[in-house]
Amino acid sequence: MATVFMKWLETTPGDYDRGIQLLTLGRLKPLKERIATEYVRPGDRVLEVGCGTGTLALMMAQHGAAVVAIDSSPRMLAEARRKADQAGLAEAIEFHELDATELSERFSPASFDVFVSTLAFSEFPGQVQRYVLDEAGQLLRTGGRLLIADEVVPDGLGARLLFYAIRLPLVVVTWLLTRTITHALRRFSATLAETGFVPRVVESRLGGSLQLIEAHPLAKDQEAPAQDRPSLETCCLPCAVDSAVTSIIGEPAAPILDTAPSPDMIPHLHHQVTLKTVLLDLLSLINRFVPPYPQVAMGLYRIGDPGRESPVLATGNYELTVRRLVRELDGRVDCWLLVANSRGINVWCAAGGGHFTADGVVSAIKISGVREMVNRHELILPQLCANGVDGWQIREHTGWAVRWGPVRAEDVPAYLAAGRRKTAEMRWVTFPLRDRLEMTVVSTIFFGVLLAIPLSIFWPHLLGLALGAMILQAFAFGVFLPWIPGHDGLVKGAFLAAVTVLAVILWGQLDGNWTLTTYINRSLGLGFLAFFVAGEFQGMSPLMRGEANWDVEIGVGLLTLLAYAASRVLLST
Amino acid sequence: MDWRDTLKKEIMHLTVARRLRIRFDRNKCTGVWECYEVCPVDCWTPDPEAHGVIFHDGDRCIACGACVLQCPEGAIQLTT
Repeated sequence: MATVFMKWLETTPGDYDRGIQLLTLGRLKPLKERIATEYVRPGDRVLEVGCGTGTLALMMAQHGAAVVAIDSSPRMLAEARRKADQAGLAEAIEFHELDATELSERFSPASFDVFVSTLAFSEFPGQVQRYVLDEAGQLLRTGGRLLIADEVVPDGLGARLLFYAIRLPLVVVTWLLTRTITHALRRFSATLAETGFVPRVVESRLGGSLQLIEAHPLAKDQEAPAQDRPSLETCCLPCAVDSAVTSIIGEPAAPILDTAPSPDMIPHLHHQVTLKTVLLDLLSLINRFVPPYPQVAMGLYRIGDPGRESPVLATGNYELTVRRLVRELDGRVDCWLLVANSRGINVWCAAGGGHFTADGVVSAIKISGVREMVNRHELILPQLCANGVDGWQIREHTGWAVRWGPVRAEDVPAYLAAGRRKTAEMRWVTFPLRDRLEMTVVSTIFFGVLLAIPLSIFWPHLLGLALGAMILQAFAFGVFLPWIPGHDGLVKGAFLAAVTVLAVILWGQLDGNWTLTTYINRSLGLGFLAFFVAGEFQGMSPLMRGEANWDVEIGVGLLTLLAYAASRVLLST
Repeated sequence: MDWRDTLKKEIMHLTVARRLRIRFDRNKCTGVWECYEVCPVDCWTPDPEAHGVIFHDGDRCIACGACVLQCPEGAIQLTT
């Protein structure tokens, strides 16, 4: 949904609560209650990571625990503080605006009895999960407990199929209503074991897809033997785009870069066209509207043969973004590519919606080991993420210099060759014919399916007419967009509707035997369709302000229905 | 569940997006030109002599908010 005013993608605290409730079908709350009553004792010092709007923190404080709750979203924290104040528990809970990767810098070792987290680990990329679990191991006192309630992809093929069958529609509905997405954990027990915990599933709901896991840190002398832990050589370094591209839901084992790695261990990204990339391209045409999208594992990658003086570029983890960037750079430039978490959304939309943030970039710098790879601590960010990634926050937290690279990936080689200088054209967003056609195809497929479903059920005789008209309108709009009068989709849509009505009249004249009803029905129906197509296109155009205008579209739709009803009444009398 | 909040938010975004305007406080500007660096629609031009920038095209602004976020002096605001 490449729009400029992408606040539509933003998740407000209220939305988030509703989204989570919907996604977990209301089953999360009992788990939280169980944590607060059974696992937290009065007087315990508890650290909650990703407290969201503070529901669990409040419950635990009510049971007499001293709670330290962190979240990286100021808006969530504001809501949590408000709720704590209201409940008279402001004294019992300390809220901090912190990223989960900053815990060991902020709190002293062995200072907590309980480390708790609900639906936060599933938001972290694999590398971050391990990093935070390592931190948790250090922060817990002897005899401390780790409690995690989260969505889990169940084991076993049958359970997994059932899980996806239930989850897919739930994810779509939740996303459309609340812009909340979660990614269920995979292989989490193994991750826990690898980071020195002994896990036990204490409660399992929704067919094993929502679990409460209790884990205890292994005492130092019980530490798992070295050969059981994954080593850098044997596990996890993906060597090409192919293996770096994760499946839609999955997350590959990510490189563990606690110790300074050698550059040879950093995976390479190559431009290649395989059956898989062709299929991914097709998927990106069919579904550009509803996540989850294919993602690339967060972390550091090599393009070409970079050295200690080579530039470091950063981008989000949308698979298509990374692949298009690699296509432009491979063979032209030697550089490092830092992939930060943008939840699989393209950088502009992710930044606008608050999914791609300075926090994400800072933790990528910290965890990926990029600091040890280069002498020049300078990060080149895509210019289009500047609407959400705060450059000054990155500079302040990492000491790195931040530069805004060109808008388009294809300009990066020239930008680097010119000594990191942008020409005017490199700064400006355009919407050339190629991009317009891509968006036309993307929107036609999505709205075509949306239109085809009710039509084929209720009015199959209209299916061909409506779909044909819609495809014509969408392509006409996409191709002639710059020359259609008006500044936004609504005005342009009105123009397209007018042209459509004229075309309908012309068609009727040529055909010769239409009744007045046919003229009216087709003009109204196809006219509204034109208006809708143009309105939706607005949301995908970078040069028209604002989102798709659902309010106006619904309004015009109702007026159309009214006009239709009126015509029926008038013609029958 | 109160879906009215969600609906209200949608409507607010849809209507506000069309009315947003840049307010630029020239006096606060120290000439770091981050706004120029990040604007995707050419609204800002550096003015080296005045150690500042010139905001010169409000019609072109697409209200993306990049300049607002990246201005270290808080000199730029996006308001209705």
